[in-house]
Amino acid sequence: MKTVMLAAGEGKRMRPLTYTKPKVMLPVANKPILEWNLINAIKAGLNDFIFVIGYKGEIVKNYFGDGSKWNVNIEYVNQEKALGTAHAIEMVEDFVEDFIVLCGDTIFGSNDIKKMKRKYGIGLVKVEDAKEYGVVELKGKKIVKIHEKMEEPISNIINAGIYHFGKEIFEYIKKTEKSPRGEYEITDSINMMASSHEIEGVYIEEWKDVIYPWNLLELNEEILKKMEGEIEGEIEENVTIKGNVVIEKGSIVKNGSYIEGPVIIGKNCRIGPNCYIRPYTSIGDDCHIGNGSEVKNSIIMNGSNVPHLNYVGDSVIGSNCNLGAGTKIANLRLDKKNIKVFTNGKKVDTKRRKLGAIIGDNVQTGINASINVGCMIGNNAFIGPAAIASGEIKPHTRVM
Amino acid sequence: MEAIVLAAGEGRRLRPFTHYMPKVMIPVGNKPILEYVIDALKENGIRRIIIVAGYRKESIMGHFGDGIKWDVEIVYAFQEKQIGTGHAFLQAKKFVTDDEMVVLSGDNIIDAKGLAALIENDAPSLLICESKIPSKYGVVELENGSVTSLKEKPTFAESNLISTGIYKFKKDIFDIVENFVENGKNRITDALQVFIKEKKLKGIKLQGTWRDIVYPWDILDVNAEVLYELPLSVAGTIEKNVTIRGNVVIGEDTIIHSGSYIEGPVIIGKGCEIGPNTCIFPSTSIGNNVTIHPFSCIRNSVVMDNSTIGSYSLLSNSVVGKGCEIASRFSAIEGETKVEVENEIHEIKAGSFIGNDCKIGANVIVEAGKIIGGKCTISSNKVVNRDVPDGSMVI
Amino acid sequence: MCGIIGYVGFRNARNIIIEGLKRLEYRGYDSAGIGIIEGNLHIYKNVGEIENLEKSIPQIDGRVGIGHTRWATHGKVSIENAHPHTDCNKKFAIVHNGIIENFKSLKEMLERKGHTFSSETDSEVIVHLIEEKYKGSLEEAVKKAIKELKGSYAIIAISQLEPDKIVGARNESPLVIGVGEKENFIASDIPAFLKYTNRIKYLNDGEICVIKNDGIKIMDLNGKEIEREENLIKWQAEQAEKAGYPHFMLKEIYEQPHSIMETMRGRISEIEPWINLEIDFDGMDEVALVACGTSYYAAMAGKYMIEELAGVPVDIELSSEYRYFGKKRRTVLAITQSGETADTIGALKEAKMYGCKTIVVTNVIGSSATRFADHVLLTRAGPEIGVAATKTFTAQLLTLMLFSLYLGMKNGKLHANEIKNYVAELKRLPSIVEEVLERENEIKEIAKIIHDKNTVFFIGRGINYPIALEGALKLKEISYIHAEGFAAGELKHGPFALLSEETPVIALASKDRVYEKVMGNIGEIKARNSPVIAIAEEGDEDITNFADHVIYYPKLSFPLFSIPIAVILQLLAYHTASLRNCPIDKPRNLAKSVTVE
Repeated sequence: MKTVMLAAGEGKRMRPLTYTKPKVMLPVANKPILEWNLINAIKAGLNDFIFVIGYKGEIVKNYFGDGSKWNVNIEYVNQEKALGTAHAIEMVEDFVEDFIVLCGDTIFGSNDIKKMKRKYGIGLVKVEDAKEYGVVELKGKKIVKIHEKMEEPISNIINAGIYHFGKEIFEYIKKTEKSPRGEYEITDSINMMASSHEIEGVYIEEWKDVIYPWNLLELNEEILKKMEGEIEGEIEENVTIKGNVVIEKGSIVKNGSYIEGPVIIGKNCRIGPNCYIRPYTSIGDDCHIGNGSEVKNSIIMNGSNVPHLNYVGDSVIGSNCNLGAGTKIANLRLDKKNIKVFTNGKKVDTKRRKLGAIIGDNVQTGINASINVGCMIGNNAFIGPAAIASGEIKPHTRVM
Repeated sequence: MEAIVLAAGEGRRLRPFTHYMPKVMIPVGNKPILEYVIDALKENGIRRIIIVAGYRKESIMGHFGDGIKWDVEIVYAFQEKQIGTGHAFLQAKKFVTDDEMVVLSGDNIIDAKGLAALIENDAPSLLICESKIPSKYGVVELENGSVTSLKEKPTFAESNLISTGIYKFKKDIFDIVENFVENGKNRITDALQVFIKEKKLKGIKLQGTWRDIVYPWDILDVNAEVLYELPLSVAGTIEKNVTIRGNVVIGEDTIIHSGSYIEGPVIIGKGCEIGPNTCIFPSTSIGNNVTIHPFSCIRNSVVMDNSTIGSYSLLSNSVVGKGCEIASRFSAIEGETKVEVENEIHEIKAGSFIGNDCKIGANVIVEAGKIIGGKCTISSNKVVNRDVPDGSMVI
Repeated sequence: MCGIIGYVGFRNARNIIIEGLKRLEYRGYDSAGIGIIEGNLHIYKNVGEIENLEKSIPQIDGRVGIGHTRWATHGKVSIENAHPHTDCNKKFAIVHNGIIENFKSLKEMLERKGHTFSSETDSEVIVHLIEEKYKGSLEEAVKKAIKELKGSYAIIAISQLEPDKIVGARNESPLVIGVGEKENFIASDIPAFLKYTNRIKYLNDGEICVIKNDGIKIMDLNGKEIEREENLIKWQAEQAEKAGYPHFMLKEIYEQPHSIMETMRGRISEIEPWINLEIDFDGMDEVALVACGTSYYAAMAGKYMIEELAGVPVDIELSSEYRYFGKKRRTVLAITQSGETADTIGALKEAKMYGCKTIVVTNVIGSSATRFADHVLLTRAGPEIGVAATKTFTAQLLTLMLFSLYLGMKNGKLHANEIKNYVAELKRLPSIVEEVLERENEIKEIAKIIHDKNTVFFIGRGINYPIALEGALKLKEISYIHAEGFAAGELKHGPFALLSEETPVIALASKDRVYEKVMGNIGEIKARNSPVIAIAEEGDEDITNFADHVIYYPKLSFPLFSIPIAVILQLLAYHTASLRNCPIDKPRNLAKSVTVE
């Protein structure tokens, strides 16, 4: 049985992080979303994968290679244009018989994947607010129809994005027409198939999807909660480590650092002296968290520095960023209201009271720069000394 | 479903801004009016759009191309002479592939929500809305959801409902319109009388926004309206000590020099230079490649592409066309005044309206509501207290 | 100057190759052919457009094939001379772009060994050489064969003996690999396969590649394998649609207000004022400009600009001459629209060898030239499809203007106020070009005057001299009217003899310091009764006393006025050709980028 991972999308709502990486390669707890998915699928006993890649697909390919690192086989299919999920699945027709499809940007539990393996069907999940998803209309266990994004959902059961198909699905995919979004959607193919076939709905339990950048923080927290501590790096004297903390090889934690788990710190990092790392923080490889810096509930990607006298809270910082001495990121509005952000020219309520900044790759800030709550900074931007950054800052912008 | 967008007209009442571009290409919030129409169609899932272009068609084709940037397919039909909407509509016939279509005019701003109600209904139907000045439009009377009468610009309006000129039709409409056009009746509304007689044409009340831009000062109102939903998004270079308050959009490669004060909603295009110490106040749109020199102040105005405004100038409630060169200490005084456009008198409160490619010297004052035509030259130290026709020199 | 393409994969090779050839048609199109392996090697050729070829090919099902669209260099246009060429036993087939310089001696040698040739082309020797060298491995045979070749080539070879692969090799002719999934492409230009993949690998000179459906191997001539990174191409094939215009050329003429804005964007500031090109200023006390064709005219204009604005001495050289005879100045600036012009790249290499600082002005990011030069100045005009250069020419002029202003600013020749004035005018350029485009109807009227004439002369002095040359080139290449450009003062040294009532003269009369002289020249021409069409600055009333017709452009200072004048001449050429019903986007015998020397 082959497993098809859909990993071609850009994830426009994940900008500015996805200007430089595809959505599935964004890290939570130091592993790309797609890798968590792969690991769970392997645990469920799957070992033959086809990744449908597209937007910045070479990054996916370079990371996963032929899959030998995970002792599995990975092949790639390139979807040139974002023409939708049905189109993506159609591309693998020649290579599969009986197969499982996983949306690469949603993390599924291994038990659920195991459940899906047993028979043809579509994964269902119950959510609190079904507005943003495809709502599933059921008759017993049988799928009647998947409705796209209803204003007033008829139920709270939604399409989870995990499928087990046989060869006959391709017949319906070929008949599928472009949706109003201009894409070929697999849900349209399924709806067509549902009118003549019995398609079973399979309830799954573990399901976590990410839509906006701040959802990464929630997912990060969830994964770190389950993590066990392991220290392989070097720890100097007078370092306090509480709770589950992972410190990987080659990293050094210097005198006076205080780390409250769950925290994960990647390879070859320099931590401290005298820094404070608080729960639910993921720090990638080759990072530097220096003297007098405090980091809380954040994701810091590979090669970025929070070197001197910084505060980073509830934020996502991309790869190869450098914060100047004294750069601080605000994470709470003075009026304590929900934080709203501007992304892709639209205002979005994050429904979070605490949110720092979302910072793309290769961003540099000067000394004492201040970054306001909910600020979205594009890749390669430059925030000058003592400047104040707020709102959406496009890539390559210079705020002096 | 497809859409036919009628965009061939000049819009004479909007002169001088239509001197070098069709009405549909006049920018509000740095986007041509037509682009709002295309966006609304796209949001409603319409992916094939036939634009009937005529007057200055190149500027439309140059901006929209084949539509790929908007993720839609755009094809062009041409109306050589602007002799009526029905005639324009017929030009699109040979490009139509679907049975059902939406027909609308490219010079009205309609939002996606307003269009959705029409699209859900059966053809033929017409989108209608209420108006304070119905007699300027096609006045509609409604009975049980069907249109019973449609009169173009009657002297006395029997109802306050007007036609937005947005329709949903089936392909059979072409034959009817063809018949009327052959008999010299060139407007779509003429042909609609056939449906109205049989009570077949449904009138659908508008649920969203529909804005018609008829006179130059409408540009300011609509501009302020579309800027309302602006995000805070900056690009380019923003120097030290620039104050940005509220929602401001700044385009790529634009430089905002030190000491400038920008209070949103304001949109500034690509490749502009602003300041140092320039103030830009709410409801202002500044196009691409615009330079605004130090110590100038601009509020509630539209400045189109490639224009330059000198130091110590004041622009309030005014529209400056494309490619103008305005030297320092220019003032556009704002006030209540009477304006004559195409032999009609209007009472408005506005600054001034300056057509494309004007050259204005230093210390020029333009009195409230005055319209300066395209390609005018005004020498230094003049006070402009009446309208200036296209291509004039004031010395 | 031909287009070539090869495909190996799972789709129907015939259709992919035909489609690719259509996309390559702009490189040349007097004949075309394809070769497909389906069991045996099948070859189909035809003369004329690709449509002719397509009609003559049956639906065959091979998954490996090569194709070629030819623009004759050796031998006449005939089916025999069309590619692909095959060996004596029809086991091997190749397509080739370039020129084999030693083909005569190779042909004699091969004939002595018993090979029989069926065409007059230089290309055919390659396939016989491969046959001669074949010992069971196609790539080895190609490798041995190209070691004997002198000249420029991009070759794609297939063989029915090894039906799963294609072998490519290049030297001074472009060849790009398109990386697909379970299929791969190779072609002279990216658009040939852009519909299927935007992932590409460049092949460099002296490299050879073996392409199968599941892998690409790149080697040097010693057989050492080379790792090559993948590049992603951003633009899409669909961008090349006409969007309502009858011809690409007209569309591109109308795109100029926009492309001009793009060229300048972020490079100028009026308030500060400065010009910023992000190239370091060392060694710019002498400059050689190197280019071919239309780009050469831009270079000639560049000489006037740089000498006047920056006071730096400038040599201008044709690339093909510079390579062998040019003086090696400290800074060498090459101009090539495509970035693939073989002569210009050769010249760049030569300059680099002598340790010159090299700058390239080009429109195509990632092209060969950008990889050789120390600094790149992108003209940012966007893709140009029409064979006649329009927006890319004005973008080159503008880039050179920015360069000369930058130089003048850096070396102190221009002071801040002058820079400020120039920048203010530059900012107005897009609107000024728009204004000129508004006069299309006036220009159409003038086109009616010249469209039935056999000869048209273009004259100008100073920077208008190269613009006159370019105007003449535009007219002859698309309307097929014999047109010549002259420096206005040179007319009386000979060409005067040709003047008559039937030879209109287009005079470029800008209000610069040679205005009076040009007026004098126009007077002389008038005395010979030739109709004079002047292109002059707005407000110039005097000129009406001399010229029969005047087309005005808005007032601008040197050298900026060259841009609106160039636009007027483009429209004039376009409408003249249109009145003569010429195939404007595909003029006979011409190709877009010239990759042979």
